[in-house]
Amino acid sequence: MPAKLSSNEKIKAQQPTVANNPHGIPDWRLEQIPFHIESEWLEGQYHYKVVGPTDAPVPKLRPSKYLDREKSIEIYRLMLVNRRMEESLERMYKQSKVIGGLYLSLGQEATSVASAFALGADDWMGPMIRNQGSMIVRGFKPSDTMMQYMAKAGSPTRGRESGSHYGDHKVHNVVAPISHLGDSISVLAGCCMGARLQGREIAALGYIGDGGQSTGPTYEGFNFAAVKKLGVILLVEHNQWAYSTPVEMQFACKDLADRSIGYGVPGVIVDGTDANQVYDATYEAVQRAYRGEGASFIEAKLMRMKGHAMHDPANYVPAPVKEYWKRRDPILRYENFLREQGWITDDELKTISDGVNQWIEEERAVAEASPMPDPADAATDVYKEDGPIALKYGPIVVRQANEGAELTESSAPGHYK
Amino acid sequence: MAPVTYLEAIRQGLWEEMERDPAVFVMGEDVGVYGGAFKVTEGFVHRFGPERVVDTPISEMAIASSAYGAALTGMRPVAEFQFMDFITSAHSQIVQILAKSNWRWGAPAPMVLRGPTGGGVSGGPFHSQNNEMAYVHTPGLKVICPATARDAKGLIKSAVRDNNPVIFFEHKYLYRRIKEDLPAEEYTIPIGKARVHRRGKHLSIITYAATVYVAQEAAELLATEGIDVEILDLRTLLPLDRDAIRETVEKTNRVIVLHEDTKTGGIAGEIAAIINEEAFDFLDAPIVRITSLDSAVPFSPPLEKAFMPQVADVVRAARKLVKY
Repeated sequence: MPAKLSSNEKIKAQQPTVANNPHGIPDWRLEQIPFHIESEWLEGQYHYKVVGPTDAPVPKLRPSKYLDREKSIEIYRLMLVNRRMEESLERMYKQSKVIGGLYLSLGQEATSVASAFALGADDWMGPMIRNQGSMIVRGFKPSDTMMQYMAKAGSPTRGRESGSHYGDHKVHNVVAPISHLGDSISVLAGCCMGARLQGREIAALGYIGDGGQSTGPTYEGFNFAAVKKLGVILLVEHNQWAYSTPVEMQFACKDLADRSIGYGVPGVIVDGTDANQVYDATYEAVQRAYRGEGASFIEAKLMRMKGHAMHDPANYVPAPVKEYWKRRDPILRYENFLREQGWITDDELKTISDGVNQWIEEERAVAEASPMPDPADAATDVYKEDGPIALKYGPIVVRQANEGAELTESSAPGHYK
Repeated sequence: MAPVTYLEAIRQGLWEEMERDPAVFVMGEDVGVYGGAFKVTEGFVHRFGPERVVDTPISEMAIASSAYGAALTGMRPVAEFQFMDFITSAHSQIVQILAKSNWRWGAPAPMVLRGPTGGGVSGGPFHSQNNEMAYVHTPGLKVICPATARDAKGLIKSAVRDNNPVIFFEHKYLYRRIKEDLPAEEYTIPIGKARVHRRGKHLSIITYAATVYVAQEAAELLATEGIDVEILDLRTLLPLDRDAIRETVEKTNRVIVLHEDTKTGGIAGEIAAIINEEAFDFLDAPIVRITSLDSAVPFSPPLEKAFMPQVADVVRAARKLVKY
């Protein structure tokens, strides 16, 4: 029998339970992952096995500190767009309409959508391969991602680049990712630096995976942002597997957010299947950036529910682990949350779902109708022609300068004679 | 007006561009209060302030790609590499992100990556390299290697104004060793145009950067033997001035390509291929390559001398070539 709670304790039990991890990093999650991965020999073969219980009940989501009903429903709708678009792409992949690989984000929709949703129009974003949902939030259409995967002339890169490798520096403010991991982080720092020279403090949201945390550019880029107090938000999507390698073989620390201490920036751990936690953490980091206080580190723990790409059935993931995370489907959890809040009815949910389905179908038709690229376009635009390039945020604002100083001949010795 | 060194010419060019366009700013290791390892930006922070003369952590990759990020917002960054040897630490960012940006997603990268290159100063293998060919092999970049003070100033100004990532190799041996009078009025030198450094009729030496002076010394010696040497200074390696290469071959019919970079994969091979494709009928003799040895750059002076092409090597090859 559990001990009877007093009324005060009952209220306390309903309050957000924010704990710190052993290194003092705030951990907003409502539960800890109660298992980990080890390797073993089994009947002459080397496998991964799960150690610890995988049957824990799924906690109900805690309300966001900042999201109202309207915004919450919009986040739900965008997550649904993210998923249905990928389901449509998966069907087209099986129909051989997708060229090359297809990288899906099943299980990661809350992290993509809710984080990007916290950005302002003038902010920047640096997506990784599974942030298709973030691109929708930034104003790209599902057909943009579809045409990218189908190598169509109508795709944002006119068939030059694959899948999620697109961006826009004029309207959507998205840095086109490259395949190398961590390389966008310092680019985003530069965007913040450019904005600052034009009198603006902006936020720049950079995604990286647990695997990408192992690269030098990740450290070098984020250290640059930290020391210059630039508004880069490093959102680490800790999705448990780097291609087929479990996180236990990628790094020795338990929480990647521990690294925020070394960077000298605030860090926080959130449940990446909980859109409310992801939004709140990103929102606070964005506000911090606007205040000119610099970079922030968010670790979102979640699970990549598909293989690295479509060809990969992810058989290396122990089945109970998949089951654990399947019960933590971010869209299902959010739907339950909206119902529990009394914010949405079955009819309204159906209207949203039908609307999303119809839009995805229209977008699929647009993507399929786009022609393949003209071969004559293969090697054009290697160079940008001469001409003025506009400042994005307006005139340069230099607070410190000495107009009167003149150039005088260097008298000091150089490094070598 | 007093003659100006190659170093001062670059300083003047950068200073003038920063005065002209507030979107231009410099960043790099020790460029601020210290003024840079070779003093190219000495005094800049006192005029333009720390917002436009930005000291950075020791991270070439972050320097290159954060400069690019600023360029995405319309800025025109000039990133200093303390030694161009260290540009390899930013290689991935330069060739994957910067060079492909306009082609991949229509985002121009108006920026300059500059720094000291080359040997002859006992800098050892990590302060003497000629890394230009890695970037010549990368479409989307422009690569400049000036040999004179006049060209260095005019070309750094053009590089700052260009809408593409420009890699600007400054030969450190030349920084304080050469001097010339510069035009009093403002000028630029176009990117992608070679320059005839010396007119001659018997053979052409196609070269760039510090070896222009090796060629010049050889030409002066050879002149006493009646061999009249033309020297073509490429100035820009990407894009190459194919017209100028063809013209000098058509004129002299004999070619030495001379450079301080190593032989295998050096630009001499590319130039030989261009001549083969576009001016083969004008050749009276095989093309000769004179380069550094296929090795790292040694530290000790006698070793470095043996490694780098010398005047005597050029004279010997020229004598043989005119008799072919």
